[in-house]
Amino acid sequence: MFLTRSEYDRGVNTFSPEGRLFQVEYAIEAIKLGSTAIGIRTPEGVVMAVEKRITSPLMEPATVEKIVEVDKHIGCATSGLMADARTLIDRARVECQTHWFVYNEKMSVESCAQAVSSLAIQFGDSADGGSAMSRPFGVAILFAGIDSGDPQLWHMDPSGTYIQYDAKAIGSGSEGAQQNLQESYTPNMTIQEAVNLSLRTLKEVMEEKLNSTNVEVMVMTPDRLFQMYTKDEMQKIIEDLQ
Amino acid sequence: MLSIEDFPEYQIPGAKQVRFNPYESNGGSVVAIAGDDYAIIAADTRLSSGYSIHTRHQDKSFKLSEKTVLASTGCWCDTLSLASLIKARMQMYEHLHNKKMSTTAVAQMLSILMYNRRFFPYYVSNVLAGIDENGEGVVYSYDPIGHCERKKYSAGGTAGPLLQPVLDSQVGLKNQVGVERSPIPMERAKAIIRDTLISAAERDIYTGDGVIFNIITKDGIKQERIDLRKD
Repeated sequence: MFLTRSEYDRGVNTFSPEGRLFQVEYAIEAIKLGSTAIGIRTPEGVVMAVEKRITSPLMEPATVEKIVEVDKHIGCATSGLMADARTLIDRARVECQTHWFVYNEKMSVESCAQAVSSLAIQFGDSADGGSAMSRPFGVAILFAGIDSGDPQLWHMDPSGTYIQYDAKAIGSGSEGAQQNLQESYTPNMTIQEAVNLSLRTLKEVMEEKLNSTNVEVMVMTPDRLFQMYTKDEMQKIIEDLQ
Repeated sequence: MLSIEDFPEYQIPGAKQVRFNPYESNGGSVVAIAGDDYAIIAADTRLSSGYSIHTRHQDKSFKLSEKTVLASTGCWCDTLSLASLIKARMQMYEHLHNKKMSTTAVAQMLSILMYNRRFFPYYVSNVLAGIDENGEGVVYSYDPIGHCERKKYSAGGTAGPLLQPVLDSQVGLKNQVGVERSPIPMERAKAIIRDTLISAAERDIYTGDGVIFNIITKDGIKQERIDLRKD
């Protein structure tokens, strides 16, 4: 009663008098606790690089999976609550296969983002008696894909808003990383330049020292589609970066 | 078909059976031929029921987009229902995905719409023709429960079994040695379709009155008409 705004941040189905949905805004804040992920689009393809937080030397780094394949031509990098991300990725995969099954064609990256966003906003009371999600997802997603030969990068946040980007950073280091991308991004970059830029940017914002186990890199090109870098390839690129 | 009358020992005394047959064949034939950069799909214009003719002027083709035409015969009410469902689904696709549906996408969707009615099928014989994403002419033919095959030529409808072997010989050049297999020119395709449908009207009482051609090229769809015998 004495805190003027806290009454409106309890439910996900009540706007504050200023017209805000606090739970959604808090969910967007939750992304800023997640590990950093970067996506860069170039005319040759899309690059995604993510930081993996290896919190214990006893942890198996390969099991921290932050970049996943949705379809051969669409990949996702996530930041935030990994369990929530699983649900969204699962939906993205199902939608891509359904689209292929019904229309015998690859789903466009935008349509995939659209399908996932419609799941992301199904929080609150459910209208049709089905089980609703009690809260917004605490995940931001980068979609990298090829749409009729054209490389694209899309970003979606917990509010379900999806926007196309040339380069985008999400997660804890996103502010510094986005700044860095804005300064160094050029529209005609090569894939290799984009990989280097993404890793240099990650290196700047990561607390840990960059090595071949605590980053993942994916490259999506029109001819090779979804390709994860192997540990050896990572090792080599990181050495060249020094 | 066997019915309860064939098994008198199983009949219940006094029980009366009422049957309803939801299907009717309204006849009609479709022929389609695709070339390198065009597709022609033609259907006769007679709509009949048994020995009666409902109309002599029924266009059986449905323009689905600037690149795709469906021609459909069989139970005419099923045909109309299916065609409007396809048009609605194409409109939804356009709104959702911000692009026009390609001929291949329509072809696959039609297959699935038909298979969704696996146990109460649309009683229709569909032939879909158009230009694909690469600008090539294509024909898709279907069975009533949605099996779909991509072809270069096809015949369907009541005279389908009569016409298909003619196309196999004249367009497919099947079982012929020493023939030159070159792309078929549009005028030749048109002439073959005309001849086959004239022949069909000679033998099939459900086919006749006229033919409407749909000529699909990258510049759009053009309709042409000819007359068939009307008896």
